[in-house]
Amino acid sequence: MTTRQEVLVPDIGDFDAVEIVEVMVAVGDNVAAEDSLITLETDKAAMDVPAPIAGKVLEMSVSLGDKVSEGSLILVLEAAEVVEAAPAEISATATPAVATGADPVASPVAESSSQSGPDTKSVRTTTPTALPPINEAGFAIAHASPSIRKFARELGVDLSRVQGSGPKQRIVPEDIKAFVKAIMTGQLAAASGPALPEVPVVDFAKFGAVEEKPLGRIQKISGPRLHASWVNLPHVTQNDEADITDMEAQRQALKARAAEKGVKLTPLAFAIRACVQALEEFPVFNTSMGPDNKTLIWKQYTHIGFAADTPNGLVVPVIRDADKKDVFELAAALADLSGRAREGKLKVEEMQGGTFTVSSLGGIGGTAFTPIINAPEVAILGMPRSKMQPVWNGEEFVPRLIQPLCLSYDHRVIDGATGVRFTTYLAARLGDAEGLIGRRRDD
Amino acid sequence: MTDVIEVKVPDIGDFTDVEVIEVHVKAGDEVAAEDSLITLETEKAAMDVPVPSAGRVEEIFISVGDKVSEGTVIIKLTAADSTVGLDSAAPAEVNTSSQTEVDPKQVAIPPNSYTGKADNETSLLILGAGPGGYTAAFRAADLGMDVTLVERWPSLGGVCLNVGCIPSKALLHAAKVIEEAHEMSEFGVKFAAPEINTIKLRDWKQSVVDRLTGGLAGLAKQRKVKVVQGTGTFLSPQHVRVEGDTGSQVIAFQQCIIAAGSEPAMIPGLPDDPRIIDSSGALELEDMPKRMLVIGGGIIGLEMATVYDALGVQVSVVELTKTLVPGCDPDLLRPLEKRIKGRYEAIYKGVGVTGVAAEKAGLLVSFEGNGAPEPQLYDKVLVAVGRSANGGKIGAELAGVKVSERGIIDVDKQQRTNVPHIFAIGDIVGQPMLAHKATHEGKVAAEVAAGEKSYFDARVIPGVAYTDPEIAWVGVTETEAKAQGLDYGKGAFPWAASGRALSVARDEGVTKIIFDNKTNKIIGCGIVGPNAGELIAEACLAIEMGCDATDIGLTIHPHPTLSETVGMAAEAFEGTLTDLYIPKRKK
Repeated sequence: MTTRQEVLVPDIGDFDAVEIVEVMVAVGDNVAAEDSLITLETDKAAMDVPAPIAGKVLEMSVSLGDKVSEGSLILVLEAAEVVEAAPAEISATATPAVATGADPVASPVAESSSQSGPDTKSVRTTTPTALPPINEAGFAIAHASPSIRKFARELGVDLSRVQGSGPKQRIVPEDIKAFVKAIMTGQLAAASGPALPEVPVVDFAKFGAVEEKPLGRIQKISGPRLHASWVNLPHVTQNDEADITDMEAQRQALKARAAEKGVKLTPLAFAIRACVQALEEFPVFNTSMGPDNKTLIWKQYTHIGFAADTPNGLVVPVIRDADKKDVFELAAALADLSGRAREGKLKVEEMQGGTFTVSSLGGIGGTAFTPIINAPEVAILGMPRSKMQPVWNGEEFVPRLIQPLCLSYDHRVIDGATGVRFTTYLAARLGDAEGLIGRRRDD
Repeated sequence: MTDVIEVKVPDIGDFTDVEVIEVHVKAGDEVAAEDSLITLETEKAAMDVPVPSAGRVEEIFISVGDKVSEGTVIIKLTAADSTVGLDSAAPAEVNTSSQTEVDPKQVAIPPNSYTGKADNETSLLILGAGPGGYTAAFRAADLGMDVTLVERWPSLGGVCLNVGCIPSKALLHAAKVIEEAHEMSEFGVKFAAPEINTIKLRDWKQSVVDRLTGGLAGLAKQRKVKVVQGTGTFLSPQHVRVEGDTGSQVIAFQQCIIAAGSEPAMIPGLPDDPRIIDSSGALELEDMPKRMLVIGGGIIGLEMATVYDALGVQVSVVELTKTLVPGCDPDLLRPLEKRIKGRYEAIYKGVGVTGVAAEKAGLLVSFEGNGAPEPQLYDKVLVAVGRSANGGKIGAELAGVKVSERGIIDVDKQQRTNVPHIFAIGDIVGQPMLAHKATHEGKVAAEVAAGEKSYFDARVIPGVAYTDPEIAWVGVTETEAKAQGLDYGKGAFPWAASGRALSVARDEGVTKIIFDNKTNKIIGCGIVGPNAGELIAEACLAIEMGCDATDIGLTIHPHPTLSETVGMAAEAFEGTLTDLYIPKRKK
């Protein structure tokens, strides 16, 4: 005897119209109880919906990209054995299956909260490519008569990009038509300026099984920004080392005192103290390029961003007025911000206004890397893992704890000598354990 | 008792155009204070906008996918009126507290909202019927739009037709005939001294004006453009009130083109005296002064000086800057200055007027500066110190249109103001204040309003001083080329070598073309001499078409004409000129 069992989306918190990012089963598949059926993704977390009972998939009611809410029908199972109590229990067993411990707080997300019918594919994400702005200065000197200019305006053609074929390179109507045709047939990039060479498109499925998943929300947002920084800012990465043996001893010694204040004293708090000191010495690292790239904006405040790894991706919370905080206060701020970052509870303004960023990967490993500047900031400090190393002190090798430093800076603003002076100074500060504790300068 | 309040997007930090990703309420919903209305998503986070007070949603203005900014109205809310124990004062309290909370600091110019009734409606309203305004009206009508043209004067045509270009040219023609007749005495044709009947002359001038303005009225009628006479001022971004002789009406419009022009600038502190006139007054030829001072040595002042000089008035010109016609190349000015120096009573450059005292015997004018004369008594003083844009006189702020301190309205290349459905053209958008610029802009604005993709893409706007001799220029002047450090070359042809110039007894002219040395393309041209204004048109076309020196030089010009001088100036640059001997340029 078989029973048809409808599997519905369980209670998934305050979310509505959540996107299905993965479908693990197909009609005809046999599933065991607790096997994952689909994966849903909200802005906070991805969560799997497990099968409440073992059975065979009779019908699928959803597909990849559909938006579902609590109670939406996922599929129909043919129960392998009769389980009388099953329907009532489905949502109960399913609820704890939320993949991460993220707290589904108030802010629900969905690209569009339209209907969540089975056929709604998330195709609406592709927007028509907006025409790039016309280079007006180039347009105004192009060798083109008034009638050609009018024709170009009707089609939105940037005359500064059109090669004229008439006498003395005069642009004639055929040139405009050829230009438009070239764009429409993909021979010419629609964007102005020298287009970046394209990465070849590969059909990966030809070489084996593949699975395609959309990027997570934070990746979708941060990707273009990282790319913009990488292609717009000439990056130079200066590598250096700091001896943090004394700093580490100091940190251990202060741990108890910190614990009294309820603070966990991390190496990053010391590193940020040292960065603040180095920024005071070299304020050019605390600037930003003006919008026209012709002025430099010197900021009279020091807000330090730090890269925080969260279940959903990388975020950069900002410690306000880091220069007015001692190492205990910095440690407390770090703990508070990174804790809330992991929970997805950071406020917008807590991720704004940074003047310099520290990216510490020391907890994981590495010897050196090239951090990408958090533009429009002009520098970022990368910190791989510190390591005990033999250091020649003039007489013998002594074991010292060495912290690699990887400083990327915007070479338009900072020259090489200044870059290395900064890391040298920073290393010296990290070596000066006493100076790192810091008293608030206003007392 | 109920109060309707608007709930707006509160301060959301530095974000604008934030996407609405969720709408939690719909019209008719009852909401409690702090209930979420909508969810916004910025790049960094999603945030809910709560309702400031309990009530019922009357109307919702936002849907999913809309972009909002601080101050965008989200819903209209009727405050809940019967919470337990609330006395009658409570709703008012709710209202005020919510208003202070939801009414965030507004953008720079909050446009007015007009809720009264409109007497008439139109899809396109054009404010001002000068050359720019009527051209825009006619073009828009030809493109199928329903157009209303508002004009404060009884006749169409604006300053240009009524008190500017056209009447002044009529008088300048009279001046020219007088001068030429007089000059012919040297060459064996002697006329008696002219008898000038100013009343008849004025009537003829007026007949020219009337013929043109009457023609415009006919053109408007043929195109079914509604002409409303009266002074228009904005009430809101959608309404204009027109106050006319026959009453007042409110016209609602969908789009608008502001073409309200400019007025002669006046020097502050002058006495109120009918003997002090501006260019409009000067064209009236009320009574002929014996001795007249023209304040301002620009184009308008010098044109009027030309007329009054020919009519037998003793003319003096005073100019505050060191040169007449500021901006014009000195070599083009020289023939004019040479001619008027011998004719006018005095030309004071670098001299300012410090005061005008109205006395019975005349206007006592005092001067200061290097070469300033003792105070002088004049019968009339013509003030021609430029024109000021009328942007401040049309209530533009009520439409949300930004106007500069000097009355100028900024526009983009499609003539749009900061308010996208309101355009501005002509003098009111700034220099150069020329009719032919206004007409071109008028066409652009009309076409854009009608949905066409038109832009102001003209490369050059020519300028002409209808003095005797005339001066005309277009594109880059030599002075500008030098100042900008351009790599330029010039070809100049003196009219002393032109048979046509000699045969009209005027050999002082010069035609000069400025070329880009890299491309040999023409980038500017300046001409001084009779008919310079007509001759400059060829250079305008050459610049727009991107002609180089060879193109111009190899174009056969008719002989004998003054237009030959343009081709010869190009040949002079090329080194192919045979009508003059010019030592070879060192390349």
